[in-house]
Amino acid sequence: MSSPSYPEISFETRMGAVEFRVDEDRAHITVDDTKCRDCSTRGCITACPANLFVPTAAGGILFNYEQCFECGTCYLVCNREGAITWTYPEGGHGVVFHRS
Amino acid sequence: MLVAACVKYVDLRPQVDRLTGHVTDGGTSGWSAADLAAVETALRLGETWSAPVAVVSAAPESADAALREFRAVGVDRVVRVELGLEAGVELESSDVANVLSDTLRSLDASVVCCGDYSADRGSGSVPAYLAHGLGAAQALGAVEVHTEGPGSLRLVRRLDGGRREQLVVDAPCVISVEGSVAELRRASLGATLAARDAPIDVVPVPGLHGHASPVTRPWSPPARVQPAPAGDAALQRVVELTGALVERTPPRTVELSADDAAELILDQLRAWGYLESSAQESSE
Amino acid sequence: MSSVTDFDAIVVGAGPAGAAAALELARAGRSVCLLERGPFPGSKNMYGGVVYGRILDTLIPAWWEEAPVQRWVTRRSTMIMTGDQAVTVDFRNEAWGAAPYNGATAYRPDFDAWLAAKATDAGAVLVCSTTATGLLREGGRVVGVRTDRPDGDLRASVVIACDGVNSFLAKEAGMYPHTDPSNFTVGVKETIGLPREVIDERFGVRGDHGVDIEIIGCTGDVPGGGFVYTNGESLAVGLVLSLPQLAAGDTRPEELLRRMKTHPAIAPLVEGGEVLEYSAHVIPEAGYEMMPELVGDGILVAGDAAAMCLAAGIWLEGVNFAIGSGAEAGRAAARAIGRGDTSSAGLADYRRRLESTFVLADHHRLRAAPHLVMSPLAQQQLPKLACGVLEDLFTVTNPEPKPGLRRIVRRRMKREGVSTREALKQGLRALRTFG
Repeated sequence: MSSPSYPEISFETRMGAVEFRVDEDRAHITVDDTKCRDCSTRGCITACPANLFVPTAAGGILFNYEQCFECGTCYLVCNREGAITWTYPEGGHGVVFHRS
Repeated sequence: MLVAACVKYVDLRPQVDRLTGHVTDGGTSGWSAADLAAVETALRLGETWSAPVAVVSAAPESADAALREFRAVGVDRVVRVELGLEAGVELESSDVANVLSDTLRSLDASVVCCGDYSADRGSGSVPAYLAHGLGAAQALGAVEVHTEGPGSLRLVRRLDGGRREQLVVDAPCVISVEGSVAELRRASLGATLAARDAPIDVVPVPGLHGHASPVTRPWSPPARVQPAPAGDAALQRVVELTGALVERTPPRTVELSADDAAELILDQLRAWGYLESSAQESSE
Repeated sequence: MSSVTDFDAIVVGAGPAGAAAALELARAGRSVCLLERGPFPGSKNMYGGVVYGRILDTLIPAWWEEAPVQRWVTRRSTMIMTGDQAVTVDFRNEAWGAAPYNGATAYRPDFDAWLAAKATDAGAVLVCSTTATGLLREGGRVVGVRTDRPDGDLRASVVIACDGVNSFLAKEAGMYPHTDPSNFTVGVKETIGLPREVIDERFGVRGDHGVDIEIIGCTGDVPGGGFVYTNGESLAVGLVLSLPQLAAGDTRPEELLRRMKTHPAIAPLVEGGEVLEYSAHVIPEAGYEMMPELVGDGILVAGDAAAMCLAAGIWLEGVNFAIGSGAEAGRAAARAIGRGDTSSAGLADYRRRLESTFVLADHHRLRAAPHLVMSPLAQQQLPKLACGVLEDLFTVTNPEPKPGLRRIVRRRMKREGVSTREALKQGLRALRTFG
């Protein structure tokens, strides 16, 4: 299944097409990555559509909140109680869709 | 004393056609970060000096809802200058400044805060024209704003090479600020609900003549009319047209000191005849 | 109960459910505050889909003359695919392209803002850029919401939680007993810009007519489905992926989407387009089986917050259920306020009304469908079987004589490891589910 006529865009280009009104003051996601060290599944890394979770060499999880779709996938797939704390960003901030 | 902020209602996400360069309205109009910073700066100055704060904007009626949000954060008076222009017609920056300065004068504004540039490719020259129109001091492009005393401000702005310049200005003055100077405060829920019906003063300015908004087109090199090439055979005409066999000065690479290199370039330009007219002028 | 209220009712979330609830409350003469956490209604919303407008007929007569619609769906295709094969059932109905229409594609930020404007026109108070962070309670009863604005408490006789699939309010009210990730899918979608004429040509439609393609077998090892919809000058191309299996695998959503877009049945439709927007959202896939309590003391739940999303394979609907449940919640709240009893007993006819309408009737009847659609049989074996049978049927093998259909089916079933007994069992199950 490959078609040379379909050039795939980079993930950065993909995310660059989306408007995010970033809240500089507060991260609406927090990860307690002491709980991630003994997590064998780490579903957030694969499942987060915005690719906000990255494993660190030390065995923890590095996270970003700025380009978040606010979908909730990460905390739903997280199997370590309390590892991911997730709320909505402050009103008026976060993702803004226009053509979805 | 009254502190005023001037803001511009702009399309925050214009759609640009990559092929034609044609810009269409993205449908999300609002205020640039710099303009919001200007409103917050005005509010802080008003608090420090116990002065009333007004926001003035030359905007269409569709901006009213967005203007009322300034009432919710504590702006005492919002004035919308109704230019009555048709869609797609713009005013020169100097004309906008003239109209705004009339309103600002009638409000008796002694300090005017603006964003340093608008998000819609504007020239960023309105603050300077405003200062001129009001006969006020100007300090533009501030990255920090401090109060020195009643009506007195100390601003920091960027210079080349990472240097900073400090300016002290006294009212009456016009300042412009970068978006990073201040984040507009969040309105309380009660104020947001109350501001829904808050009045907006509308100042109609009839009889203005704008110019059509610039239309961006893709650049194409202008056509040059060339005489038809002479020659009997097609090959001859192609050779003539392309200049393939014409004698030319071959390119050369030289290594010289800056002074000698400049002299060489000037010599070459004279040899080609580019500097003749200016050489004549300077000799006269 | 405190007698000081700011509004008769607070509706949290200005999506289709919230807008419909606020519209009905305002029409009943009740003061209602519609809270939206985005800068405008619809700014947080995306879908994989089609708006089915029949539910709007009673709310907004001749809604089709003013709703911000991209295209009217007149062609519905269900595609079953394997790696490089596809079977499509393609239904075209010109009657859907004229009033009163059947379904439409629309950009949700446009559509939701339009519907919310109907509520404000009727008198509802819309407050945007305001996130409801929690419930105000007195003695177990909900008396308002806490918002993230300064002095942000807001009190009312009823709170209607239309705050979406993650509904923190319904969870705080204890109406969601647990959240099991296997009840959810995540939808990812690209909006791909193409000129109108190119879309018309590729999809064989004209004017404001459009196409809706639902796809099964396009999600690799992750159970789910795919879709391609036509907008005016863009396509919506996306996948719906089961959360636990997506998280357990090692292929990211955009890679799965890329693979579908390179499938020979899809690539010619989407190639050459520019990605205008990328979006993602979680879907309450399990429907009826995951629904929370719908009624509490001083609180109702509607829309995605109440898992009112029908993801039953051939039917993929959500906006209509949101509008239907939101409108019923608004009416029930208005009646309860009128009677002066907004306890769970006073609000209880919300659920009864939903049961008598399509909202809960459809969900109840199709309650087993989500599991059936996500089963390995539907996801893996059915596509291979269908494509294999048709390959054998249509491959001309002269001079060999043509095999009979029965023999082909038997041979292919054997190859895919589907026993006759299993096939009959699943067929019966499907009949019971969808019949």
